[in-house]
Amino acid sequence: MPPPPALDLFNLPDADVVALAQQGRDSAFRELIRRYERPVFSLVYRMVRDRELAEDLAQDTFVKVLNHIDRYRPEFKFSSWLFKIANNVAIDHLRRRQLPTVSIDGAPNAQTAEAIQATSFDVAVDQENALDEMEARELGTAIERAIAGLRPEYRSCIMLRHVEGRSYEEIAATLDLPLGTVKTYIHRARHELRRALEPLRGGEK
Amino acid sequence: MIDRHLLPDEIDLLLDDEVGFGVSPLKAHVRACAECSARIEEARFVTEAVEHLPRFAPSHTFADRVMSQVPVFVPWHVTALDAMRPWIPRSHSARVVVATIAAAAGSVLTLLIAWIATQTDTLTLANGIAGTRLRAVVLDAARDVLSTVLGDQIFTVIQQAGTFGIAAALIGLVVAAAGSVAGFRALAAASSRRRA
Repeated sequence: MPPPPALDLFNLPDADVVALAQQGRDSAFRELIRRYERPVFSLVYRMVRDRELAEDLAQDTFVKVLNHIDRYRPEFKFSSWLFKIANNVAIDHLRRRQLPTVSIDGAPNAQTAEAIQATSFDVAVDQENALDEMEARELGTAIERAIAGLRPEYRSCIMLRHVEGRSYEEIAATLDLPLGTVKTYIHRARHELRRALEPLRGGEK
Repeated sequence: MIDRHLLPDEIDLLLDDEVGFGVSPLKAHVRACAECSARIEEARFVTEAVEHLPRFAPSHTFADRVMSQVPVFVPWHVTALDAMRPWIPRSHSARVVVATIAAAAGSVLTLLIAWIATQTDTLTLANGIAGTRLRAVVLDAARDVLSTVLGDQIFTVIQQAGTFGIAAALIGLVVAAAGSVAGFRALAAASSRRRA
């Protein structure tokens, strides 16, 4: 069958666009950026909470992925590969900077109830002042702040699960984590978010 | 039906809208238990809030900045295919017509070339005529250039020296022109260095 007269990249699946990029088509590279610049930037931005830095890290992500597009293996989803690099870039940056993110639900490696209790953080002792509380009444702001308070590992899991709509298995493959760990992270992230949003929900009742 | 409150893992199963054999009893319990129903509702409030978070957009120059760091090597066959693509008709029937015409034109051209190749006498004659004409044109042009640049008197002297004289004069001209160009470039470079 003869090729289509013009490359309609917009409607092609990711795998086909990647194949065209591997052939050296500039338009295919740009189509991949167009499709994923927002999801990748949003993920990275919510990890580092700094717009300029997030742009730089998202840019690094795309440059790494597109410069090694020939290494892409079609048996995996392109988006999973992209999110994996984006997450690694963001986590590496956070590790280098050692950002003071403290989980209110204990260390991620805490397995027993005692260990979780010993490493947990009581939100009651760190109540925000009244002005901040009023600002947090806006649900979007409150949830963004609550996500910002999560551990980076929890943050990427919860974002991939609920913002990107990925399955647990996909998240495990994307982040190179065991399935059980992903489930634990998401469970703890939900629990932390629930606790952080309790005052807001109380106000709605 | 389950006669205890749901465990955290079981709440997660319901939050993720899991389906399966073990989920029905959990749902039945939630319908009957106000406390578990409230816990599910509270958890769903949070997950829905996260699901409705907006996606942020990077700056409008983002794609250009990325592409400035991604060297794209386009193979010649891709370039050729892309150059041809706008000329390929959209409909299947039009493509068949164009392919038929192209095949017919290709066949006629091939036959023509094959026929010409068999006419060796004609080719030799045509080649000889073309060679003679080309030599005459080149020599006339060289004479014109030299007589214009050096003047008729000097040209007459060079002409008396024969083909060797004309060739030596031409080489001298080329060397002088190249020297001038190099001199101008050196001057321009020195000037820009001074400005910098």
